[in-house]
Amino acid sequence: MKTNSLWKDSFKQLARDKISLISLLIVLFYALVAILSATGIIAADWSKEVGGSNLPPSFEHFFGTDFLGRSVFIKLIRGTQIAMSVGLATSLIAIPIGVVLGAVAGYFGGWVDDLITWLYTTFSSIPNIMLLIAITMILGKGLFAVYVALGATSWVNLCRLIRGEVMKHKEREYVQAAGAIGGGHFRKLFIHILPNVTHIVIINTSLQFQVAIKSEVILSYLGLGVQGEPSWGTMIDDAKLELAKGVWWQLAGATLAMFFIVLAFNMLGDALRDSLDPKLKGK
Amino acid sequence: MKSLMPVLVGLVLLTIGCSKERNFDERELHLISPEKIAGFDPIHGSDLYSANEMGKVYEGLYEFHPFKRPYELVPNLAESLPNVSADGLTYTFVVKKGVLFRDSPVFKDGLGRELSADDVLYTLKRLADPKLQAKGWWLLDDRILGLNEWREKNAPLEASNYDEVIEGLKKIDGYTLQIKLKKPYPQFLYALAMNYTFIVAKEAVEHYGKEFLNYPVGTGPFLLDKFEQSNKIVYIKNPKFREKLFPSEGEEGDEKQGLFADAGKKIPLVDKIIVDIQVESQPKWLLFHKAKADLLEIPKDNFDQAVVGGADLAPELKGKGIRLIKNPMLDVTFFAFNHEDPLFKNVKLRQAMSLAWDRGEANKLFYNNTAIEAQSVIPPGLGGYRKEFKNPFVKLDLELAKKLLAEAGYPNGKGLPEITIQTRNDTISRNTIEHFSKCMNKIGVKVKIGVNTWPELVNKVTKKQHQMYTMAWGADYPDAENFLGLLFCPNQSPGSNGSNYCNPAFDELFRQSTILQDTPERSAFYEKMNEMVALDVPWIFGFNRTKFYLSHAWLKNFKYSEYTHTQFQYLNVDLEVKKELSKKF
Repeated sequence: MKTNSLWKDSFKQLARDKISLISLLIVLFYALVAILSATGIIAADWSKEVGGSNLPPSFEHFFGTDFLGRSVFIKLIRGTQIAMSVGLATSLIAIPIGVVLGAVAGYFGGWVDDLITWLYTTFSSIPNIMLLIAITMILGKGLFAVYVALGATSWVNLCRLIRGEVMKHKEREYVQAAGAIGGGHFRKLFIHILPNVTHIVIINTSLQFQVAIKSEVILSYLGLGVQGEPSWGTMIDDAKLELAKGVWWQLAGATLAMFFIVLAFNMLGDALRDSLDPKLKGK
Repeated sequence: MKSLMPVLVGLVLLTIGCSKERNFDERELHLISPEKIAGFDPIHGSDLYSANEMGKVYEGLYEFHPFKRPYELVPNLAESLPNVSADGLTYTFVVKKGVLFRDSPVFKDGLGRELSADDVLYTLKRLADPKLQAKGWWLLDDRILGLNEWREKNAPLEASNYDEVIEGLKKIDGYTLQIKLKKPYPQFLYALAMNYTFIVAKEAVEHYGKEFLNYPVGTGPFLLDKFEQSNKIVYIKNPKFREKLFPSEGEEGDEKQGLFADAGKKIPLVDKIIVDIQVESQPKWLLFHKAKADLLEIPKDNFDQAVVGGADLAPELKGKGIRLIKNPMLDVTFFAFNHEDPLFKNVKLRQAMSLAWDRGEANKLFYNNTAIEAQSVIPPGLGGYRKEFKNPFVKLDLELAKKLLAEAGYPNGKGLPEITIQTRNDTISRNTIEHFSKCMNKIGVKVKIGVNTWPELVNKVTKKQHQMYTMAWGADYPDAENFLGLLFCPNQSPGSNGSNYCNPAFDELFRQSTILQDTPERSAFYEKMNEMVALDVPWIFGFNRTKFYLSHAWLKNFKYSEYTHTQFQYLNVDLEVKKELSKKF
């Protein structure tokens, strides 16, 4: 009998589901836009005036222009780059911290576990937004501070999940077997257990990604985020005053852009859970 | 949810429909306060809105004339302007006879007693009382002979000793008192028109103790009737108010506006004032449009609904008899350089940047084209401002800007580091810098934004931790000294000179002028300083802004004032007009 690997199997299941496939395509599309913008191929001249102040959407300017006559569409693309970069950077910071701390805590137990549990409960007891504000105050405002602030606050959930999962796995036969043939702690933990909990990382990342994007928008809206560059958050902030004048396109543009990517990531996260989590398999 | 909507709408309509019938028998004035009021203790009212409420029940020795401009100080509880000794140090005041405090249980038999010189002395001492930590202490700090010493001496005591005679605060007779200053302070009289020095009665302070702020016992034109801190405040006319008559003089053109129809009548003219406390701007707008507020400062967001083309009232409002009142404010906005930064010692760089900023566009974007381009530091309406004076660096001239920038040593911005401008974190501030940055880009100057909360910004300016920052300054009192002092070297941070500008010639003139009383000679000094400093571009001068009010046709005698706290007693309501026009609402 021919058997497929877990990954191949899961991808097949994912591809069968139209909604999750579309979600994946949306995420990839946003990623492509972000890469093109970051490399300067598109939206490099976002600060250029393309027309009059606050022009409504037209064929010439898809989402109209802002108060300085800059294209809202190009600002949206630039905002996409910022949002995706925040999601990515946050994940790159949070995943290693969460995985390593969670794995170590779950595997060794005892005082190591106590220490790490203390650390993450302390972190999670501080209201998230307060911690973010405190970190941006120390590091100064800007994109880098947002990366660090979000990265430093979003590892807790992953750490907790990994810890629990590793605890379960370390008593399993295959780990005992690895020990019996002379495998050390490092080997047991990172070579044997970790690959078996990777699905948690993937599911979590997908969900964490959109949380990071939302947080960036909120921080920028509050004036704590990106400085001097367009972000969906600052665009929504601009719109706050413009709305009374009937200028709705900045708000609409930024909200729609955010809506699709957040929705796509959520759907994708769910789909990934369905296809990757062994407990939900076949349901 | 859908099915609930009509019910909800119905409920809302019902509550509106059921509201009380309008009262056309009593002259009721309906006003809005945009902030909650902490209470009625004059020495703690550091904001405009509390001052507005205190001015209805309390009075000071002086007030600003309600109609004359430039602002003129006139006697209120004082009989006349004081007698000032030749050296400018000794002031002799006489208080009016026959002024009564309101009836209150704190007095014998519950009847208000007569005001005396003792009350003035008590009020000033109370402002200095170390136990009370009055917010207005800065007004008298280091000004009156012996007062600082009294304050220090009483600080460790259980209760301050008010009976001690202070050298600088002396009673001559029942109605006369003498104040001795440490050094000349020509702005002293303005201090006596501010709410901090509103006269209070000792009996009331002692009787109410901590509750004093809720039970004002003053001599003012109105009595506090109801005080619901976050909802509404109701005042009724003070039946025992002294004989104070409506003035018959003012500025040119006031007569045409019908401001003197009540001239010679005894004030106050209305029977009742109802102040609605509304913090959010949309309810304010709605209250006014339901004719439940007589006067409205136009919320920024509603500007386009009220004013067409930045100048005229929208036709539908005109049809309801609503009037638009616009008035320049005594303020100036600016981008300040930090003159301790070696970069900005270069005057040509400063001038180039000033010439590159498109003020016309900024005015359109941020002030609906209603602001006046500031030529220098003194705003119109104050002695020292000359209409004819035009600052050659307050205009848009990119060619000249580029030339000056090259002469400054940075052709096309080459070699010039990126400049960070500190500002506040609200939308308008951010947009202002974005626009400024766009303008500077045109001559090759790179500008970055630094966003701060208000306390952060103040902190950075105080500690000189900035390259540039942007702010506005409003007049504490109508004297250009308040503005010129912003560029006086000894006032450097942490003082009010946040740009740390130093110009010895200017400082010398400033020193000479500050000891002068308000005379044409002093105005000439001010003019000279104002115009001299303008060419040096110590700041990039911004705008003198305009305030916009809407008033219903039945509200009479309203004239914009920077010092509104004594303005309300002159207002009147035309009941006939109100009855007639109310049908339209």
